[in-house]
Amino acid sequence: MVMNQRARVLLQPAYVLHRRPYRDSSLLLDVFTPEFGRVGLVARGARQAKSRSQGLLQAFCPVLLSWSGAGELATLAAVESGGPARWLSGSALMSGLYLNELLARLLHRFDPHPELYTAYETAVAALACGTAGAPLEPVLRIFEKHVLAGLGYALVLEHEAGSGRPIEAGQLYAYHLGAGPVRWDDETAAAPADALLIHGASLLALARERFNEVNGLREAKRLMRAALAVQLGAKPLASRRLFTPTAGGAVSS
Amino acid sequence: MNLARDTSLIAELMEALRCLPGVGPKSAQRMSYHLLQRNREGARRLAQALAAAAERVGHCARCRTLTELDVCSLCGSAQRDHAQLCIVESPADVLALEQATGYRGLYFVLMGHLSPLDGIGPEDLGLDRLLARLDDGEVSEVILATNPTVEGEATAHYISELVRARNIKASRIAHGVPLGGELEYIDGGTLSHAFAGRKSL
Repeated sequence: MVMNQRARVLLQPAYVLHRRPYRDSSLLLDVFTPEFGRVGLVARGARQAKSRSQGLLQAFCPVLLSWSGAGELATLAAVESGGPARWLSGSALMSGLYLNELLARLLHRFDPHPELYTAYETAVAALACGTAGAPLEPVLRIFEKHVLAGLGYALVLEHEAGSGRPIEAGQLYAYHLGAGPVRWDDETAAAPADALLIHGASLLALARERFNEVNGLREAKRLMRAALAVQLGAKPLASRRLFTPTAGGAVSS
Repeated sequence: MNLARDTSLIAELMEALRCLPGVGPKSAQRMSYHLLQRNREGARRLAQALAAAAERVGHCARCRTLTELDVCSLCGSAQRDHAQLCIVESPADVLALEQATGYRGLYFVLMGHLSPLDGIGPEDLGLDRLLARLDDGEVSEVILATNPTVEGEATAHYISELVRARNIKASRIAHGVPLGGELEYIDGGTLSHAFAGRKSL
């Protein structure tokens, strides 16, 4: 690819998705940028006691990165703060880890996704507000929608598959994952094998990114799970397990 | 002489020393010749200590730290306060806290942190053993001293939920500006966190 040939990139906005120790004093970073998508970087010496970049190279912290190099792993040259640092805590933090895992699992390296980057930025900012008590679930659903769109599998939410008629809030639909929603008149019948039943109001809520009722969120979650499962394949997302620290019982495995 | 093909004892020693962190071919060579030329006695002691430790050191049955005993000396001590339990990520953290603080309670060592992207989940951290310990009823306060990283924070949050569900007090160590530091030179993340976690005087 043209982009990663001995390129020298200066002050690219980025978020660290994941970092892990590498060698004695370095970090291996998985970062998400608007122009280069997901990039792998080595931050040499970042784990030394004297290193000042260590605090900045944290997930959910907007940074400006400069790097150079060819191939899968480039070398980080400089880090600067890219805005006020956000610190997620509690369930907002768990949700943030979920966002990061989605991106790390689904995006290919060096595939630029500028719209998805904006959506990620919005989601992280919303989660930071969530640390202060705002609801988190809508943030996750909206981000999931953008992830699917970014991958080229945008969900059809505002009109029926086939006929193209606009979705009505009061109507029940059978959502076929490959195609879209189809009018489903029999409330009592089970959904067809390759589809799930969802109300028009829930589809519209997702399309307009405004959730007013619990049922809409629940249905949107079911739809997103099914749609993402197709992309994720057999391996489950590890961060989902973090959402259910059982209230009284043992750790569920 | 091509060292890569050399199968002599010296070459084997050099190769073996390279398993240590920060030791490359050159340092391995220096260490080997130092031990053989100048300090045979030290080499024998090192060999014995390594063999004995590798053979006998295991995990403490109560806190999971490294020890050759069934229950480590801290957990076995009658002078420690059994009502306080401090949760850390590694045995090195236990040592750091012991040396730096006057903490008199006990520890629980996770041997890692939750990290979904590395596939490390709750069951990999021995949390079942921690829960069993909390259910004993001996512990009245849990101090979460995991690292101030995203993963350490996630681990602390996850454990704090489990702890609170059992009506046990959970606390988190403070993070902030390093002592003797200057605000101007501190990274934004640390500073904003220190600011958010300010204390009333």
